[in-house]
Parts: sequence; C-alpha cells; structure tokens
Amino acid sequence: MESLEHKEVINLLLQLAAMLLSARVFAEIAQKFKQPAVVGEILAGIVLGPTILGMISPDSFTYLFQSNPSANLALDGIVQMAVILLLFIAGLEVELHLVWAQGKSAINISLMGLVVPFVLGFTFPYFFPTFFGLADGDKILFSLFMGTAMSITALPVVVRILMDMNLFKTKMGMVIVAGAMVNDIIGWLIFSVILSFMGKSGNLSLMSTIGITLLFTVFMLTLGKGLLNRVLPWINKNLAWPGGLLSLSMAFCFLLAAFTEWLGIHAIFGAFLFGVALGDSDHLSEKAKEIIHQFINNIFAPLFFVSIGLKINFFTNFDLWLVLAIIVISFAGKIIGSGFGALRSGFAKKDAMAIGFGMNARGAMEIILGLIALDNGLINETLFVALVVMALVTSMTSGPLMKWSLRKSPG
Amino acid sequence: MYQKIALAIAFSPRMEALIAEAKRLIEIFESELVLIHVGLKQPELEAKLSEILEAKGLKTTPVKTIWKEGKPAKMILQACEEEKVDLLMLGALKKEGIFTYYLGSVARKVIRKAHCSVLTLIDPQATPTKFSKVVINGTQLEVTPKVIAQGLKFCQAEGAQQIHILNEIKLYGLQMATAGEGSEDEVNLTRRKLVQDEIKYVQEILDGLDQSGLKINIKVTAGKWAIELVRYCEAINADILVMGDEHGYTFIDRLFPHDLEEILSDLPCNLLIVK
Repeated sequence: MESLEHKEVINLLLQLAAMLLSARVFAEIAQKFKQPAVVGEILAGIVLGPTILGMISPDSFTYLFQSNPSANLALDGIVQMAVILLLFIAGLEVELHLVWAQGKSAINISLMGLVVPFVLGFTFPYFFPTFFGLADGDKILFSLFMGTAMSITALPVVVRILMDMNLFKTKMGMVIVAGAMVNDIIGWLIFSVILSFMGKSGNLSLMSTIGITLLFTVFMLTLGKGLLNRVLPWINKNLAWPGGLLSLSMAFCFLLAAFTEWLGIHAIFGAFLFGVALGDSDHLSEKAKEIIHQFINNIFAPLFFVSIGLKINFFTNFDLWLVLAIIVISFAGKIIGSGFGALRSGFAKKDAMAIGFGMNARGAMEIILGLIALDNGLINETLFVALVVMALVTSMTSGPLMKWSLRKSPG
Repeated sequence: MYQKIALAIAFSPRMEALIAEAKRLIEIFESELVLIHVGLKQPELEAKLSEILEAKGLKTTPVKTIWKEGKPAKMILQACEEEKVDLLMLGALKKEGIFTYYLGSVARKVIRKAHCSVLTLIDPQATPTKFSKVVINGTQLEVTPKVIAQGLKFCQAEGAQQIHILNEIKLYGLQMATAGEGSEDEVNLTRRKLVQDEIKYVQEILDGLDQSGLKINIKVTAGKWAIELVRYCEAINADILVMGDEHGYTFIDRLFPHDLEEILSDLPCNLLIVK
C-alpha cells in the first residue's frame, strides 16, 4: 500500500484543520443571524477557496490546497466519504411511518411540490439550453437534471425552522416534514436513474435501470427492513453500545453504497436507502440516531460543504442573470406546487402559503446533486454556482417568509 | 358507559372463558349482553350454549343470541350495527401466522372496521380477574383527548389500580440533532422542553377530567409511538391497552405497518379500541 510522505501528511492535516476551523467560525456566525449552519459552512468554503483567499493571498491558497497532489487525492477520498455519509443520514431522517400517518395531505403536498418545480425546471432549460449553460451531452438529460435539482426540499433546514417557530408538532409542521420526506425519496429515485446515464459505468438500458432501481428500493424497504428488525435487537444486546451499532451501520452503509455503484446507479443511492431502512426499523433507538447525526453533522458535513467552495471560483463563475433565473424558477415552482397541494388538502390560504414557503428550503441535496452533475460534465461551473446560490437563498429566506405569511391576516 | 355489550362466539375451546369475561363486564357496566355467532343455527349448538350460560349463571339475565350466516367479520359488524352495540368483545390470538396476518384474520378485520368500541382479549380466563394495570395511548392524535376520557371512565368503573398514560416525542433524534447546533445549555434546554411539552399535553387533557380514585402516571418515550406502547405494555406486564383508531386501514398499511397495524401484528396484551 502506498502511503503519504511526511510533508503530504502535514499538508492534509492542515487542510482538514483549516476546513473544520473556518466551518465552525462561519457556522457560529450564521447561527447568530438565525441562519442554518449549512449556510455558514458553504460561505466558509468560499472564503477559504479561490474566490477570496485565492484572490487576497494566492500564495497561501496554493500552499494549502494546491501544492501536493497526493494530499489532495486523500482529501478527495475523505470528501467522497462525507457525501456518502450525508446521504446516509438524509435517509435516516426519512420516517416512513410518519408519512403513512399523515396520509393523503402529505402525499398531495409533496407530489405537487415535486411535479410543478420539476416541470418548470425541465421546461426552461429544455428550450433555452445555452442560457442555462448546457455543457456537453444530452439536452433531455440536462433538463431532467435541472427538474430534479429544483424539486428536493432540504429536510434538516425545514426541521430547524419549524422547531424555531414552535410549529414542529402542529398538523402543518408534520405535513411539511412528511412532505419533505416523500420528496427526498422520489427525488433521489429520479436522480439515480438520470445518474446511471451520465455515469461512466452506465451500460444498462433505461428500462432495466428503472427496474433495478425500483426493485432495490422495494427490497430495502420491505425485506431489508425486516432483516434489520431481526438483526438489530441482537446487535444491541450482544455487542458494545453504541460502538457496535455505529461501526456496523457505517460498514453496511458503505457496503450498500458499493453495491449500488457497482450496479451502475450511484453509490449515494445505496447509502440513502440503507439510511431509510435503518431509520424506519423498530429497534434503532432515538438515542442512537442522535449520536449518528451528531457525528456526521459536525465532522463530515462541514468538510463536504467547505470543499465545494475550494473547488470553484464563485466570483468568476457568477452570472447574475442565470442566478436570478434559477432563483425565480425554484421559488415559483416550489411555492406554487406545494401551496396548491396544501390548498387541495384543505389547508386555509395563508397556511397553504406558509407550507409552500416551508417546502421551498433547498440545501445539501441540491448541492450534492449539482456536484455529481458537474463531475460528470453534465453542467458547467457557472450553473453549479447558480444552484449553490439558489440553495443558500431558499434556505435563508424560508423561515422569515413562513413567519411573514403566518403573521398576515387570514386571506 | 356501555349499554349494550356484544360478544362474538365461535364454539372454540375459549368460548366458556370469553362468556365468563363478558359476564364480568356486563355486571360492572350494568349492560345488556348480545351474543353473536356466525354459522348455521343447529339444535346441538343451541343446547351447548344454553348449558354454558346456565353454568356461568347467565340464565337469569336476558341474553340475546344472534345467529348469522356469511363471512364472519362482515356478519359480526352487521349484527353490531343492527343491535346498536356500544362495545364488541372478541377473542384474538396474540400473533397470527404470516399468511393470516396479510390476508386478514377475523379479529383484526373487525378491529379495523368496527364503528363501535372493540375489546379484544388474548387470554380470557374461566374465572376472570379485573384489569389492574392499564396503559392508555397518550400520543398526540386527534382522537387522544377522547381516548383518555373514555379510558379513565373505563378504569373508574373497573376499579383499576394503576394507569399509565404514554406519550412520545416525535422524531426525537432528528430534533435533538438539529438542536445540537446550539450551545450546551441550549441543547439541555431543548431536551427538557421536548419532554415537558409532552407531559403538558397529557396534563392539559387530564385537567378537564374526573380523576377520582385513580393513580395516574404520565410517561414520556421517544420513537414510534406504536412500538413504544407495545414495549411498555410488555415491560410492565400490562393487563389492557386503551387506544383510539384514526382512520380506515388498507392492505398497503399492512405491507408497511405503522400505528395501529404495528400493534395488531403482535398484541402485547388485551386491547380496548375506543371509537
């Protein structure tokens, strides 16, 4: 096995330390302004990356992030793992029993909140591909990607907002949470199919990809979950706690990620579905969930969010019109779609609007989606920057807009 | 509380015990008893039934027996509607075989579809004892205030000693992970607030109710409420679990069990569904 040299090890450690430090500082600042930590972490990356540090002090940026290819490779491995773990906890957050209990209104809100932004996100790029910056490749695939990128709600951001507003346990809060969960699952299903086409390993036909994806999903949510229900009590009883649970769940998360990657649908999908199955199992205690969350949210998530800013220059790739267009489309799609879905399920007008604003928060998932598309050459850096800005803007405005719409007199 | 109690009978070995249990309840609630049997009315069965009723000392009280032919679950429900029954009693197996579970057993079908309250007994006794340890589902649902109110009345009539009302914190792990963005004090504050909110919810329902003679314990858990209820009932060896029913369930709900279905798949103790 090859190993890093002395100075490469130092470089890698300095990189990690710089990333975690700046992420913490900016996350704290973001929270002082009542903003999600994610916003601060992404800003930390922009500050540490070519956009700001690279401009002010190119030497220190080059020394830190561009002097050792091997250290960078190692860092990339760590960031890859962070993405897989992020998807794992995204899956863990999905609680199917809650979705079933909310029933029709959750399905209504999430489907309308998925279809409308998807259609808008698909149509505009399809007819104006050059404006949106189609890099090279398929126009349909590109538009499909854009549609999906507009339609996944950021569950953690929404939960935070609802908790802050003391709305979490209300009917509205539960419907929003359940809606966002359904959104997550369907969004990733669609995206994994798109991915298998742009990936290098995509040698399956459309039908068999869809078939395998669906089959794998159903398997994980029925038999996979049943298996977990049998194994988990044994693990909790006989192995170290929470050590046994933590290391084994990570191991199986990576194992299934490897399996889906091998199948030709991206690794993150396996991690996500394993998260869903594990989170929905009867024997994973809430305490264990909290521990898994804490350790991924505070160590791996910041590394990933900071790494985005390191890769791209947000200043030179900033196209104001494109950013505005993406923001307008994403706002319109989500608010109209989810709001209409809520109206149809019998919510009052102002509550429906609040639900629309709540579902409008985008975050980590759009960014991960965008990054994969960028790596696969489906989109260019300018569009990626616009997507990140969109995620930031929707996350930051979601809470204040919800408050505003609920404060209005009933309409 | 219950003017008319019906008992579904099937001439199984457990029938005598079930009738004994029913007798105990009609005496407590001073109600009429209706027996429902789905199957052909045969003289030998009638003779056997009247023999048991006599042995149980039910010959003197008016007991109406209804004989129906057709699909058991459907006929039992129909008879309950016709007789305007307030509480339907029936025996149920603790756990069904996998095929019966998915295709639907009579007891579970009745629980899912009945319009009146249903009491299922998993272990009826020939010499019945009273339900002393009662667990009431206090999770935040639309029916919960009604369930707690009816549950308390039932316990008062029954003279139950210890009542546990279980409420759970929804998505505790996720909420705490989100709260983890704050400082240590904020996190602890959130943790306390989450627990207190749930106690307050139950307490506010209880405040409007007559609690005389009852020892009530409010317990807060985290996780899925149905699973937590089952675990708690098993842990304290509860005699009866009182809960409500939210809506009609379909086959999909059995495939992805949640809420009531999760309890039906493995009954921890006797079950009273308040409707």
